[in-house]
Amino acid sequence: MGVLDQLLAGFGQALSGYGLLIMAAGVAWGIIGGAIPGISGAVAMALALPYTFSMDAATALVMLAGVWAGANYGGSIPAILMRMPGTPGSAAALLDGYELTRQGHAAKALGISLVCGTIGGLISIIVLIALVLPLGNLVLAFGSPEVCALAVFGLTLIAGLSGTSIVKGLAAGAFGLLLTAVGLDTLTGSLRLTFGRTELLSGIDIISAMVGLFAVSEMFYQLARPARRGEVVAGAASTAFPTLRELRAVWRATMVGTVVGLIVGIMPGAGATASSFVAYNEAKRWSKHPELFGKGSMEGVAAPETANNAVQGGDLVPTLALGIPGSNSAAIMLAALILHGIIPGPFLLTQQSPLVFTLFAGLILVNFLMIPVGVLILRGCLLALRLPPPSLIASILAIIVIGTYAADLFLLNPILALVFGVIGFGMRLTGFPPAATVLGLVLGFLVESELRRSLIISHGSWAIFVTRPIAATLLALTVGFLLYPLVLNLWRLRRPPRPAAAPASGR
Amino acid sequence: MHDPFSSAADPAVSALRRELTAAGVLVAFGLYIVSVARRIPLGVATDPLGPRFFPIALGALIALCGVLLASGLILARGRARPAATGKGSDPDDDTVGTFSVSRLVAAIVLTALYLAAFEPLGYLLATPLYVLSVMLLHRGSAPGTLVLTPLVVTVVLYAVFKYGLLIPVPDGILEPLLRRGG
Repeated sequence: MGVLDQLLAGFGQALSGYGLLIMAAGVAWGIIGGAIPGISGAVAMALALPYTFSMDAATALVMLAGVWAGANYGGSIPAILMRMPGTPGSAAALLDGYELTRQGHAAKALGISLVCGTIGGLISIIVLIALVLPLGNLVLAFGSPEVCALAVFGLTLIAGLSGTSIVKGLAAGAFGLLLTAVGLDTLTGSLRLTFGRTELLSGIDIISAMVGLFAVSEMFYQLARPARRGEVVAGAASTAFPTLRELRAVWRATMVGTVVGLIVGIMPGAGATASSFVAYNEAKRWSKHPELFGKGSMEGVAAPETANNAVQGGDLVPTLALGIPGSNSAAIMLAALILHGIIPGPFLLTQQSPLVFTLFAGLILVNFLMIPVGVLILRGCLLALRLPPPSLIASILAIIVIGTYAADLFLLNPILALVFGVIGFGMRLTGFPPAATVLGLVLGFLVESELRRSLIISHGSWAIFVTRPIAATLLALTVGFLLYPLVLNLWRLRRPPRPAAAPASGR
Repeated sequence: MHDPFSSAADPAVSALRRELTAAGVLVAFGLYIVSVARRIPLGVATDPLGPRFFPIALGALIALCGVLLASGLILARGRARPAATGKGSDPDDDTVGTFSVSRLVAAIVLTALYLAAFEPLGYLLATPLYVLSVMLLHRGSAPGTLVLTPLVVTVVLYAVFKYGLLIPVPDGILEPLLRRGG
C-alpha cells in the first residue's frame, strides 16, 4: 500500500467513533493549558495522559497530538494579549505581538499567530510523513557541537534586541545566560550559585523568570503610572483573520519559521523556545522591513509562531525514527506510544504502519481543528480584555501567582516571578532589554552543556567545532552575521561621499 | 496630587544618575559573581572547562559591560547630555516613563504579603484580599466591581486548579473546614 493510501486509511481510523470530538477536546485543553503560565505543553499532555488509558491506541495518540499542537499555540494568547508568555516557546511572539496589542491590533496579531502557526504545523507534518526515516538518519549528524553552534547562532539575536546600546544588550544577555548556571551542575553534580538554598538546586524556573520579566513588570508599571492608566490592552473582541494581502506580506517570515522550526525540532534538546527565537532573528534578517521588528511587526509574530508549531513535526522525527525524544512534550508522546504497545525505531513504519499513519492523519486534522477551536477560545480571551483595567491587572497577577505555583507546587516560583518582576522593571527603567535576558535564559543551558560535552568528546580540543561541517557552517554564519554590519559601515565610510541632493520641495 | 516620590525630577540629571547607578550595579554584581564562582569545586578531569568556567566568564563579562557603560557615559558627558530617560536603548520602546515610586513599592509589598500569606492563610482567604488591594491601588473601580471581581477571580481560579487540573491549592487555616465539607 502506498503512502497516500495508508494516510487515507489513517484518516478513516482517526475520524472513527468520537475521534473528531476527542481531538477537538485535546486541542481545546492544549490551548487552555498552554495559555496558563506554568502549565506548559508537556504538563498539559501529562495531565491528559491518564485519560487516554481507557482509549484505544489510535484515539489516545490523536488526542495527545491535539493537546500538543494546542499548547504550542495556546501559550501565545497571553503572550500577545498580556505580555505574559504561557509557554517558553511563546516568549518570542510577545516581542511584536504585545506591541500590536498596544496599538489596538490584538485580534489581527492573534489571527496571524493562529493561521501562520497552523501553516507551520501542517507543513512540518507533511515533511515528517514524507521524510521521517531519511530525516531520522540526519538526527545522528546533530551532536553536541552542532546544537552548541546553533545556540550560539541564536544568541546573535542579542545584537538585534539591543537597540542603540549593544553593551546593555550584552549585559542583559549575559545575565540571562548566568541564570541558567544556578543550581546543580548536570555534568559534575557541583552546586553553583545556590547560596546555600536547597530551593535553588533545580535552578531558576524559566517560566517564572519570563513571566516576571515581562508580565509582572508590566503590571507593576500599569499600577505605578499616574497618567494613561489602564492602557493594558485594546482591540476588538474577535479574531481577525489575515487577508490574502497580509498573508503575502508575511509569507517570507512564515517560510523562515517553518524551515527553522523543522530543523531545530529535529535537533534533540533544542526545542520550541530556541526555534522561535532563531526564527524571529532570521525573519528579521530576511525581512524587507527589519526596522519594524520590535515595534509591532506582523512578520515578528508570524515567524516565531510558525516555528513554534513547526517544531512538532521536527520533534517527532527523532522520537519516531530513533526513539529519542527531542523535548519534554515529545517524551510524553513517546511514553504514550510505548504505553500503547508501539515501539519507536527504524522499523516503526514497516511494523506498526496503520497506527503510525493514524497518528500522522491525526496530526494533520488537529492542525485544521486549531482554527475553529482557537477562534472559539480566543473570543472568550478577547472578551476578558474588556474588563475594567483594575480588575484585569488584579486578575492577571492572581493568575500568575497560582499558575507559577501550580507548575511544581513550589512557592519559590511565584517568589521568583515577583523578584524578576522587580528586576524587569529596573531593566526597563534603565533601558536594558529584558528580551535579551530571556534569550540568554532560553539558550544558556544549551550553550554551556553542549559546549562542555563537545570538549569532553574531543578531549579538550576546540577543533571539533571546525572539523564538523554543520557546526562549522553555523559558526561561520554567526561570525558572518556579526561582522556584516561592521564591514558594511567600514565600506560606507571608505566610499567617497555623494554630492548633496537638491531638496525635492520647498519645505 | 503631587507625589513626593515621583520620578519626574530633572530628567537629564536623573537619567545620567540612573545610568551610572546601573553601571555600578553591573560592576559590583559581576565581581561578586566572579568571587562566588571561584569557590565552585573544579569538577572532574575529563571536563576541560569545568563547572566554574561559565559563571566566572559571565560574571566578568557583566562587570566589563558595567565598566564600558560607565566609561561611555563619562566620555559622553563632556560632549552631550544623555536622553531624558532610559529610552532609546530598546527597539520596542520597552522602557518606562514617569511613574510613582510609592505606588510601585506598594504593588511590590502587596504581592510580597500575598505570597507570605499564600500557604499559611490559604488561597481562598489570601487571594480575594490581594485582588481587592490591587484594585484599590489602581483606583477607579466601581463599588460593585470591587466586591465582585475578587470573589469571581478567587472562585474561578480555585475551581480550575483544584477540581479541573487536580492541583492541590493550599487551603491554609480553612483546611479543616474544607476537609469536613468534602
